[in-house]
Amino acid sequence: MSRLRWTFAMVAALSVGAACSYEPTGGAPRAGTLRLRLTTPHADDGAMLFDVNGPPIDSAMAVNSSLRLFTRRAGGSTVVGAVVGVLANGAVVTLQVPDVGAAAGYTARVLEVADRQNALRASLAGYALTVAP
Amino acid sequence: MNKAAVVRCPVLVLLALSGAVPALAQTPAVGSWREEVRRLRDAPIVLPARGGAKTGKYGFAPRLAARRPTNASVAATIAESEPNDSVRTADSVALGDQATGVVNPAGDVDTWFVDLTAGQFLSVDVDAAQVGSSLDPTLTLLAPDGTTRLAFNDDFDGLDSRISFRVPTSGRYYVVIRAFGGPGTGGPGLTYAINFGTVTCAAVGTEREPNGNPGTASPVAIGTDGSGEICSADSSPVGDVDYWAFTAQAGTTIELDVAAARLGLLVDPFIALFASDGTTRLTFNDDDVTPDPRLQYSIIATGTYYAAVSTLADPGGNPFPYTLHVRLAAQGPGDPITVLAENLGQPTGLAVGSTGDLFASDFTGHRVVRVSGQGVVTTFATGIPIPQGLAFDGFGHLLVASGDGAVYRVTPQGQATRFITDAGFPVGVAVALDGRIWLTDLSDRSLRRYSRTGQFEARFDVIAVGGFGPSALAIGPSGEPYFSNGFEIWKLANGQPERVLRNLSLIGAFAFDVAGNIYATSPVAGSIKLFDPTGTVLADPFSVGPDAPKAVAFGRDGTGATVARLFATDPRVGRLIEMNPAGVALRGLPVGQVPPPFTLDAAAAGLLGGASLSAADLQYLDALGNHNGRYDVGDFQAYLRSVGGLPVAAAMATAQPRPGSDR
Repeated sequence: MSRLRWTFAMVAALSVGAACSYEPTGGAPRAGTLRLRLTTPHADDGAMLFDVNGPPIDSAMAVNSSLRLFTRRAGGSTVVGAVVGVLANGAVVTLQVPDVGAAAGYTARVLEVADRQNALRASLAGYALTVAP
Repeated sequence: MNKAAVVRCPVLVLLALSGAVPALAQTPAVGSWREEVRRLRDAPIVLPARGGAKTGKYGFAPRLAARRPTNASVAATIAESEPNDSVRTADSVALGDQATGVVNPAGDVDTWFVDLTAGQFLSVDVDAAQVGSSLDPTLTLLAPDGTTRLAFNDDFDGLDSRISFRVPTSGRYYVVIRAFGGPGTGGPGLTYAINFGTVTCAAVGTEREPNGNPGTASPVAIGTDGSGEICSADSSPVGDVDYWAFTAQAGTTIELDVAAARLGLLVDPFIALFASDGTTRLTFNDDDVTPDPRLQYSIIATGTYYAAVSTLADPGGNPFPYTLHVRLAAQGPGDPITVLAENLGQPTGLAVGSTGDLFASDFTGHRVVRVSGQGVVTTFATGIPIPQGLAFDGFGHLLVASGDGAVYRVTPQGQATRFITDAGFPVGVAVALDGRIWLTDLSDRSLRRYSRTGQFEARFDVIAVGGFGPSALAIGPSGEPYFSNGFEIWKLANGQPERVLRNLSLIGAFAFDVAGNIYATSPVAGSIKLFDPTGTVLADPFSVGPDAPKAVAFGRDGTGATVARLFATDPRVGRLIEMNPAGVALRGLPVGQVPPPFTLDAAAAGLLGGASLSAADLQYLDALGNHNGRYDVGDFQAYLRSVGGLPVAAAMATAQPRPGSDR
């Protein structure tokens, strides 16, 4: 194989490989599900108010029947939600997004937390929300 | 007869009562009981005849020396002769004599006998503690068989004993004197004198005997006093009854106040008020804050009324003087009252249904009655023992705290079942805005909280607040339970009791208006008082129309909204009454679980920054939840719970006892 033909073959192979890659590295967006994961220092959380900023979110739902979710779209890039029920460490909400590849672009904040007796947490230290596949 | 000494030395005894009672300040009629007592007491007291432990001086000689002379005297003064500790060795005494002795050594018992004729009204009157002796005596009168106890008295004139007894048969009667305090009590200082005589009943003061029925009642005008003596002139089992007649005007509230015990005698008078027909008993009272009775009654129809003074404690026993004060009670803005329903038995608790009907628990009838706005009374539920506090739950059921230890739940059709059964002695019951049920439990002096469906959630010990409660219970404007411990109202704030107000009279129950003002009943004072939310008195009285008001509640209209109409139960007279609505400035605070005036979507949007809720809605939501002054996610959670919107697992998790409660 001449040097020129070898070079062409490598470029072609790389092109095919790139086209078949799972990650949309600059390719078409891929809709999918992301999870909103809670980190909490308490074992008796009963309700949480939060917001999620970033790329578009198509819809949101609670991860299981022990939780109930209420949301409102506040402008194009923010969703405010309240999730009520037996809250614990781990996923609490699933987000349907048009582009799962943009997960890193989401930021989520814990705004308020109440225990199961309705008392508002005085401090949100130790709480965190992350958005990830 | 062993008459060791006879001394006739007239002096005047300044009886403690004489200056206090106008009737007694008069010169007693010759032969009256009072003169007899004075005559007996006037005699100087001689020492016991024998030496040793029984000899010594009485400590009250200087007091005797201060007495003014009189022409009264005793027939003889008889010193005891030991042994005299049984009927077989009793010392003899005659009517008119004064017996003297000393309860010494410890455990000593002195026995005296006197021969009497059937029908004689014996008076055995001890002078000891009142004249300086260390003895606190007790007296027992025994029948001629020597064993049957006919009468007993510990204290009458201060610590000194007295027995008055009409003997049914002729024979020898025995009087036994001991020291109060048991067999270990006795000593040389425990001296006494016993005056033996007969009671002679005579009209004294302004009463005109005979006045034992309405037809012979003595007149007394409102604003004046009547005075007399309860003294049983015959063997009637009810003793002496003095009737007084007065005219009262419709729309007024009269007060009848008997002064007897407060004059220094340990007696227990009783008063009843009768209608113009002379036979219908309208109300009565035995004890106020002292054994002296007092009552108030709102006059519905102008006419003649009758007050009857007597005693239930000792009819036919010791006579005593009294003064009857007949007054008009000063009215408040809630007067005059109107009577919505009568003949309700003993209505104790009160709740108002969502259509405006009133429900009252009949304490002695073991039932709950329903009273329509027009005053039509029907029995709503039966078979609930000793029903007390009432409240409607979030499902429209009536909750009834029962003396059998349970809270009953009554369906709108009147079917009652035991509902909450783990409280010891529930007295008050209230339902919070979130539908949770609160109880006051007198058995362990706690407040208990239950879920809307009756699952126990938490117990809050309130022993530390003291008093006699917790009893009455109501939910305050911030959603916290308020309770009474007798003379005070407290609230439970974040699980901790905080005192709100202190009253001078026992609090029967209380209710809030929308501004948080507190209407508190005083059954003993016969009034309702109005306080502001901080416990400052706004109106005292707010109303004196009730005789002895107990439960109190605001009315509701056909939509269930509270209105500015205030109702109360009056167990003493079996009435359900309404205070003058012109004096009720604000509508009542909503009670029980009230359906929120907005949708779930609106509540959620309000939290998430969407639809704006009114200030009243936000206040409502905050009161449902953590009442921290703003609407937050904790309040939203409480709202979800109140409308049954929590996930099942969350609802169950919430029903677990709250940390900090002791169960």
